[in-house]
Amino acid sequence: MPREANAVDFWRGFALVSIFINHVPGIYYERLTHRNLSISDSAELFVFLAGWSLGLLVGGGRNGAAPLAFRLGGRSVQIYAAHILISGLALALLAGAAHLMENSLILEWHNAAAFFQEPARTQMGIVLLTHQLGYFDILPLYVVLMLVAPAFVIIDRFARPLLVPLSLVLYFASLTVPFTAPTWPVEGNWFFNPFTWQAIFVLGFALSRDEGLGRFVRSNITWIRYVAAPIVFVAAILVWFNWFPDPTKLPEPRLLFLNGKSFLTPMRLIQFLALAAVFSAAYPAIARFLPWLTEPLSLLGRNSLNVFCVGSLLSLSGQIVRSLYEGSFVVDTIVVIAGVGLLWLTAWMSEWRQRLGQQS
Amino acid sequence: MYLPQPWIALLVAGLVLGSPPVAAQAPPEPPAVGKECGEARFGDRPLPNSAAALQQRKRIKILAIGASSTAVLGIGRNGNPPLLERILERTIKGLDVEIINRGFSGELADAAGERLRIEVALNQPDIVLWQVGTNDALAHVPVDTFELSVGNTVRWLKGHNIDLILVGLHYNKRLAKDTHYQAIRMSLRRIATEANVLRIGRYEAMEVLARTTATNGRPELEDFGLTEAGFNCMAQYIARTITVGLFAKPPKHAPVPDPGK
Repeated sequence: MPREANAVDFWRGFALVSIFINHVPGIYYERLTHRNLSISDSAELFVFLAGWSLGLLVGGGRNGAAPLAFRLGGRSVQIYAAHILISGLALALLAGAAHLMENSLILEWHNAAAFFQEPARTQMGIVLLTHQLGYFDILPLYVVLMLVAPAFVIIDRFARPLLVPLSLVLYFASLTVPFTAPTWPVEGNWFFNPFTWQAIFVLGFALSRDEGLGRFVRSNITWIRYVAAPIVFVAAILVWFNWFPDPTKLPEPRLLFLNGKSFLTPMRLIQFLALAAVFSAAYPAIARFLPWLTEPLSLLGRNSLNVFCVGSLLSLSGQIVRSLYEGSFVVDTIVVIAGVGLLWLTAWMSEWRQRLGQQS
Repeated sequence: MYLPQPWIALLVAGLVLGSPPVAAQAPPEPPAVGKECGEARFGDRPLPNSAAALQQRKRIKILAIGASSTAVLGIGRNGNPPLLERILERTIKGLDVEIINRGFSGELADAAGERLRIEVALNQPDIVLWQVGTNDALAHVPVDTFELSVGNTVRWLKGHNIDLILVGLHYNKRLAKDTHYQAIRMSLRRIATEANVLRIGRYEAMEVLARTTATNGRPELEDFGLTEAGFNCMAQYIARTITVGLFAKPPKHAPVPDPGK
């Protein structure tokens, strides 16, 4: 039996729907997602909840280190396989669209140009995760985080007070030096710098635990929300009016002060944690008054990998549809309704398949 | 002939100190553009901030952003730098060109504009080479949204004394009648004219080339802009534009370059 709707699955489902919409640039409904009033967006939520889920998976420390490492490694391989599959399908989608529309410019979309211009080296880059398609770049981060996850778990088990400080040291080092993961064969950097994004994953993990930082936050959540609410409010104003400082006028090291998604700069991280603190209070009310919303979103969240993969391909399909039929409110509405419906169907079929497996 | 060491030192010092700054030399002959690239003509506006950098540091930093940078930098195989860098360094003696490649094929103007500001803050380039428009046109970004977004970024760059070269939309025969595609193309042209910034009219160049090849009885080069030969042509055009811009006399109303940069 699938687990009942809960806050983690609900917010994960929420993040998946937001990511699907935000990944169709120009679509009318992107102006309704929470990033229009928030410095952080669904990517932060998705990675934070991935860390949180790792905490739930590890549980109270009953599992041995070796089986746990084996399990997490298996999960990493599963995410890697999913990433390779959807990257291949995305390239085929782009090639098909270019052929159908007789427009080879489509082959340029989403960093795909290198694959069609220089397939031998770029294929190696895709397999090595050093070449990532635009909007298909969060799973490589997830693969790396899950590969390193056994180290997080071991530190948590044997030196818990060190886990978050070590993670933050790496985070600030990456921002101040600065350094990130390079791409190849196209010169550049990973969109999601793994050295900084690990911080939000580790924080999700640490906050999910009943001890250490997690316990401290739970016992002090009321006053933390009093501090967090003004941060969320001020951030919404900054985003709405685009009142961000000129990055060239900031003191060095500039990455500590500017708003940059690739580096998950402190401004984004702090705002996200404040947002999480405030909205973690909302789930009980949502579950009580909007059960029609919590059930389907939790269903999506429970099957996040399958839904994310299908959602990535649906976003790309949505872009192709918008290009074919010239984006309008009607086309955008059809894209969103069909897309969210197919996400739900993906999640439902995933659980249906699990149920069949259990019955046989 | 034997010369005592102090004389050698003086001679070397004289040679070094006597070397005029690069920009003070006679302007070099702008690099030629291959016949296969057609005869499209591009702007010859000065690049005053980069010229100052050239004079002071003998070094210019170029930030390539927007769509796939290979399409404007040219191919650089076997560890060689991209063609643009090689042509510039070959043409202007003593010049060191650093290219910061942050191109991302398929990126829309709004996202590129945001990223551009951060990259400028982190890397402090002298020239920004921004390919923009094609993806916004194909994604059906409204023209006014596009214009606002690109216009803001162009003004921001000008306000920071950074030379900008806009590289416009790709040519594709089937898009010649696409009203939205053409509207975005015109919008970019308008922005460049109003802001008085260099725009490489890739669409026009490739259109001329496609027509020329077709009238010569050869198959029409519809997708020339997306081939290796097309990328190298763009690199040649841009190298020529930059060379001309580095040595062109700035108009009297041009902004004074910031010497502290």
